Amino acid sequence: MDRETILSVHDLDVKFTLRGQTLHAIRGVSLDLYQGESLAIVGESGSGKSVFTKTFMGLTDANGYVDGGSILYNGMDLAKFTTEKEWRAIRGREIAMVMQDPMTSLNPLKTIGDQIEEAVVLHQGLKGEAAKKAVLETLAQVGIDDPERRYKQYPHEFSGGMRQRVVIAIAVACRPKILICDEPTTALDVTIQAQILELIKDLQKKYDLTTVYITHDLGVVANVADRIAVMYAGDIVEIGSCDEVFYDPRHPYTWALLSSLPQLGVKGQPLYSIAGTPPNLFHEVKGDAFAPRNPKALKIDFVERPPYFDVSPTHKARTWLLDPRAPKVEPPEHIKQLREQGVRLRVRH
Amino acid sequence: MSVTENEVLVDVKDLCVDFGSKRAPFHAVRDVSFQIYKGETFGLVGESGSGKTTIGRAIIRINPIASGEVWFQGKKISGRISRELDQEVTRKIQMIFQDPMASLNERAKVDYIVSEGLYAQGMKLSEEERQAKVSRALSAVGLLPEFASRFPHEFSGGQRQRIGIARALILDPAFIIADEPISALDVSIRAQVLNLMSQLQKERGLTYLFIAHDLSVMRFICDRIAVIYKGQLQELAGAEQLFAHPLHPYTQALLSAVPQPDPISERKKKLIVYDPSQHQWSESEPPLWEEVEPGHFVRGSRRELDRYRAQL
Amino acid sequence: MSVSRYKDRKTEELSASLEGHVSRDYQPEEYFQLAEYDPSAAELGSYSNYSYWGSTFRAFLRSPVAVFFLALLVLVLAFTFIEPLLPYAPEANTIYRGDTNLRPCAEYWFGTNSIGQDLWSQIWSGTRTSLLIGFAVACMEAVLGVIMGVLWGYVRKLDFLFTEIYNIFDNVPQTLVVIIISYILRPGVSTMIFAMCLTSWLQTARLVRNQVLIIRDRDYNLASRCLGTPTWRIMVKNLLPYLVSILTLRMALAVPAAIGNEVFITYIGLGVPLETPTLGNLIKAGQVVINEPTLNYQLFLPVLILSIVTVSFYIVGNSFADAADPKNHVK
Repeated sequence: MDRETILSVHDLDVKFTLRGQTLHAIRGVSLDLYQGESLAIVGESGSGKSVFTKTFMGLTDANGYVDGGSILYNGMDLAKFTTEKEWRAIRGREIAMVMQDPMTSLNPLKTIGDQIEEAVVLHQGLKGEAAKKAVLETLAQVGIDDPERRYKQYPHEFSGGMRQRVVIAIAVACRPKILICDEPTTALDVTIQAQILELIKDLQKKYDLTTVYITHDLGVVANVADRIAVMYAGDIVEIGSCDEVFYDPRHPYTWALLSSLPQLGVKGQPLYSIAGTPPNLFHEVKGDAFAPRNPKALKIDFVERPPYFDVSPTHKARTWLLDPRAPKVEPPEHIKQLREQGVRLRVRH
Repeated sequence: MSVTENEVLVDVKDLCVDFGSKRAPFHAVRDVSFQIYKGETFGLVGESGSGKTTIGRAIIRINPIASGEVWFQGKKISGRISRELDQEVTRKIQMIFQDPMASLNERAKVDYIVSEGLYAQGMKLSEEERQAKVSRALSAVGLLPEFASRFPHEFSGGQRQRIGIARALILDPAFIIADEPISALDVSIRAQVLNLMSQLQKERGLTYLFIAHDLSVMRFICDRIAVIYKGQLQELAGAEQLFAHPLHPYTQALLSAVPQPDPISERKKKLIVYDPSQHQWSESEPPLWEEVEPGHFVRGSRRELDRYRAQL
Repeated sequence: MSVSRYKDRKTEELSASLEGHVSRDYQPEEYFQLAEYDPSAAELGSYSNYSYWGSTFRAFLRSPVAVFFLALLVLVLAFTFIEPLLPYAPEANTIYRGDTNLRPCAEYWFGTNSIGQDLWSQIWSGTRTSLLIGFAVACMEAVLGVIMGVLWGYVRKLDFLFTEIYNIFDNVPQTLVVIIISYILRPGVSTMIFAMCLTSWLQTARLVRNQVLIIRDRDYNLASRCLGTPTWRIMVKNLLPYLVSILTLRMALAVPAAIGNEVFITYIGLGVPLETPTLGNLIKAGQVVINEPTLNYQLFLPVLILSIVTVSFYIVGNSFADAADPKNHVK
């Protein structure tokens, strides 16, 4: 599967200064994003998943900075960008973002139509009637009924799910190449959640978008992601195709994330749970960041940071368990079940 | 499962809650009735604005009720009640909140937060006894007793939620209303909190009202589940019953929306979208609330109910 | 399980003591063995040693202007109260016959006024009185404003009543009330304080009420209600701690405002009688000679002290309010 790389991150370090201390939020992350794919970045809060993607758009908080590494896009190194002017050429136009809370991304004082029209005029070069027509089309495309009437309404007249559709409409109206969706459905009801994910999937096909989903819930992305990157403590610990990560995960953290999904729980038995809390990134992490919470950690996990081991050409994980010298460690029961299920389903297809 | 023989702990009868002005009230909860049995976990699931949180808050008496009654341990606790009963109910019913970032007083130490109930109930405890109680409550939720001298902002979301549980436990309640206790938590932390809740239920014989907006965790934690839509119950059944035979179209929509960690079957999944207009209720065919099999209630018109019964 | 009293240990000590549970000094030959697992160490992952007041003071100290004015203010305040104890401390109201309108010299450091009183003593005595008025009014304003404001905001039943009272009184200019009270009662320092206290708390109460409205229905307050915590305790423990920073600012600004009011009322002749020196009296006396270049020190010196006190209070108060805002605690 040799696909064209649209964005290439190499050895990226992002740090924050907070009250005189330095927080190492992203610790040397490399990632290739392929044209037209949809990648899900999964991790708990504080894992750096949002910080990571915000650096693609120059949206890092004021006290944060890129401390090394490169982000290559279209022959430019985004990590070297310093001025707002440089970023304006990227934001919206090349890379657009859909945030968790639709209310904060919409202007409450302007009609929905005006807000989308702004993007249409700016990025598609349309004017007057043509622009309005494009807006109505976009509204219909994101599944908003009666666009003529909705065009004149204000954000507060929309429900949460409808607002998120509008936010997506604005993002798409800019005709970006990459669409980053930061927890796009967390604030919404489950039934709406699935619909919004469907919508993003449709638009991706229609406009040949490359999408990046950011979420803490592995369950949500099973249907939408081509590839999954699992982040922990500012590092990608496992990356592979969707099927590989779900049916054949290798990193103990991925095991833990999958096994602790309440959907898999059985009444009367305790759920698999991850003890403790993520490490404090104000201190330099030694070895494998997940080791203190991993009941099956190896001694070397406390001493040396593991390199990536390739499982397949598309699947790699940062864990010493994949080292030939490592003892055989059995994954939790749920993971074995998922593995068997994967084999069964793949045979059938 | 012989649920019918169980002792009723909480009895909600024709509960209505209105918001807004008296002249043009918004009916948040309309004629909701259900019983919660001692020792069970009763799930209440619905989307935002469905009135599920309002019901919880009406039971614990934060939200005033427009009509209907709430009974607890055989005594009416809604409306005007005596001082002694008020104090007893306050001790016996506690609440766990959704957002651990908002539910702890940032300017108070964990020590005060956890022992607030002891102060509030005017318990005459020596400093030693009080601290011992706080230590025990913190240990019970898997936190170190040393954490008592810290402030809430020093803790992660999961730890803060456990502090909230310790606070609810200190008065030894019999009934806990858990209002979306895991929705605001990372998926990785949810299991911790759910396990803790089940463990405490086993150890202390607690009864839970578990409020949630999706069904994904319900099967794991609940004995019986009620589905609520726009302030009215639509379906009520044992957890396994409901998952095996979801009858109401809204329940089916909720079930179909639960994401499964299984890409291949997930890609083939068909989403069910609930459209309330499909019911075609009218004057001559009003919606009824009836038991279609033992312990399984559904709301629907006569024709719909007949169809549901045929499906079983 | 034995339950002992917990110790009050600093976070750093705590994690240090717990990290010591399992030794992680491994030798290369044992690297690929399973390690010991210590669940309590995993609990300690993230912690922050952020302290609200510590950060507030650090943020305040970072502004050199604020620190300078704080020092200046402290000096002036301290000196005002030390001054009578110094060896050179003539009685303020003593009249030195024949020594009228003397410019500042070795004998009279700030000179004398038209009837031969020592200006040095007059000014410091006046500053003392004015500060007394300022602090008294600010304290009363804070106490009344907080009590009324919290009740107004938190107890829903009182909202209508308080709002109506506020609407009525807020439409009467404060100066007018002070003038009328001074006119009715015997003029003097206590009348002055009483008159100003009568109305000034309204603004504070409204400010507090608005803040309380914002935090009243937060989950942690609902939690307290579920635990049966009485309303007064919710006010003291859950609401007041969140108001400290805005209250400090409010008080810091109330002191110079009250002093300014005193100066104005006295200046128009309704305030404190002449035999009690206040900054208002001194400025009133000084302005008579404003056009005589040899004598206008009698106006400029009290105005200088007044300016130092009011400007310092404003700047220190505002800097403190900025420092107390958690948004400014990231540096």
